[in-house]
Amino acid sequence: MERLIEILEELQPDVDFRTTENLIDGRYLDSLTILSLVAEIEEEFGVEIPTVEIIPSNFNSAKSIWALIKRLEE
Amino acid sequence: MSYFDPIYIFFAVPILLIIYNLVPKKVRPILLLLFSFGLFIFISKWLTLFLILSIVSIYFIGIFLDKLNKKRDLLIQDNPDNKKEIKEKYKKYKKLVLILGILINVSFLFFFKYLNFFATNTNLLLNLFKINYQLKVAKYIAPIGISFYTLEALSYILDVYNEKIEADKNIIRVSLYLSFFPQIMEGPIARYSDTASDLYAGNKVTYNNFCSGYQRILYGFFKKLLIADRLNFLVSTVFDNYASYSGATAALSVIGYTIMLYMEFSGTMDIVIGTGEFFGIKIPENFRQPFFAKNISEFWTRWHISLGLWFKDYIFYPVSLSKSMKKLTLKARNLMGNRFGPLVSGAIALFAVWFLNGLWHGAGYTFLFYGMYQFILILLGNIFEPTINNICKKIKINRQNKIYRVFQSIKMTFFVFIGELFFRATSVKAGFGMLKKIFTNFHLISTFKSGEFLKIGLDGKDYVVIFIALIVVFIISLLKEKNHNIREEINQKNICIKWIIYYLLILSIIIFGAYGFGYLPVDPIYADF
Repeated sequence: MERLIEILEELQPDVDFRTTENLIDGRYLDSLTILSLVAEIEEEFGVEIPTVEIIPSNFNSAKSIWALIKRLEE
Repeated sequence: MSYFDPIYIFFAVPILLIIYNLVPKKVRPILLLLFSFGLFIFISKWLTLFLILSIVSIYFIGIFLDKLNKKRDLLIQDNPDNKKEIKEKYKKYKKLVLILGILINVSFLFFFKYLNFFATNTNLLLNLFKINYQLKVAKYIAPIGISFYTLEALSYILDVYNEKIEADKNIIRVSLYLSFFPQIMEGPIARYSDTASDLYAGNKVTYNNFCSGYQRILYGFFKKLLIADRLNFLVSTVFDNYASYSGATAALSVIGYTIMLYMEFSGTMDIVIGTGEFFGIKIPENFRQPFFAKNISEFWTRWHISLGLWFKDYIFYPVSLSKSMKKLTLKARNLMGNRFGPLVSGAIALFAVWFLNGLWHGAGYTFLFYGMYQFILILLGNIFEPTINNICKKIKINRQNKIYRVFQSIKMTFFVFIGELFFRATSVKAGFGMLKKIFTNFHLISTFKSGEFLKIGLDGKDYVVIFIALIVVFIISLLKEKNHNIREEINQKNICIKWIIYYLLILSIIIFGAYGFGYLPVDPIYADF
């Protein structure tokens, strides 16, 4: 989880990723940032994120992104 | 025919509501379907056949895809060691079925909307290469809303393919999803999971739903009759003959067209969503105060939301996150870093999105130009975002500051105006001509003194009505932007205040609405796309 927060902070330094729960709905992460994030996650955690998983509920908070990574690792 | 036709909204729909409440719950979805098909046949006559073909195709394609999914799962269950091979094999089968479904539905759209454009341009190319052969050029009248229901049809089979939803075995529900009467002309492009279950629920029309629906519909009428229809004459007069007017009048018509388009389209959405509310059907919102956006990229998450989401889910992410693009992203990130690396695949996907988005609006170079204009603006916005951020930090400008936010929205609106200029222009050349006129021949004071502003279909009273109505819409939008649920707040007021508001709204539409002699009602603009 800490590594994920680091990745997110590198992409968007001004956002508090530990508390923000509307990263997509609040437009903290736009489509192009999502592309960077997906590439980083896939490289760092060795998972493949299918496009159908790119939905707001999976990317609205660091927690939900982490849950997605864990689910894909299984 | 338009949803603003009083016979439709104040006669046909209320009769439907009465019958709908009288018939048993199970019959209600069938009644909705009959009414929807009745309206479709009334508008598009025998072309309704193409809607039926689309429905039947996605129904069977969906079931076939579902069967393949289930068969694959059973095989994996029996042979867990061969999971990967089975998955790969069935993925290929599914892809073939999906492609068949896409081809059927896209071919109808191509035939009605793009064949003429394709043939004309192919003939130009053949002439250029001096090949003595010409394709037949013929323009066919398309079934109403084909651009909207085709995207809905594609989203249904793509969602079944991606296993986001299960295929529906009930053909009435699938038919209603694609043909529900308030949505057939201008959308929104709902997803199956958004509306299908509500459409089939057959819930009774309650007094609250009835009042709430008409409350929303009245606001739509307010926007359309007080603002959009009043601006129509100005827009068509100046756009069709811009050379005869000054730059200031041309600029006024561009602003007028943008406002007219917003009021017509969002006003129609108020009617569509309000009509859905009668039946307890939650139709997704298509607008969210677009002119408060801080940049063009955000604007497109607030304007025609359902179309933007469709392109994002079915074009942008599948293209930018395809295997080859992911490889490209990794290479580009190593070369260009984390910020700019993903922009390469992002730009390719964005190009595809905006090329198709332009084309979706119509087979014409003005629409393609419009799409490319949005593509370039969004791309440049992303490229320069870190630089602007750094400059603001250095000169200590807080980008969250209210004044800076207002400046951003004004700048964004200026770029929207230019985009809409080309969107409405009779040709790309005319668009540039008009733009040149605005920037080189503005002459605001002399135009004002000459009285030209009063010779383009608007008199002093029209300007006052438009101005006041726009202030009302602006205040409502501002309150919505600040998360006020205005409709709920009005509902909670005591009955006197509530009805004073309703009467003011109704009277303002009756007294100040632009209808009758001397006015040219706006045709449903988006219904033509």
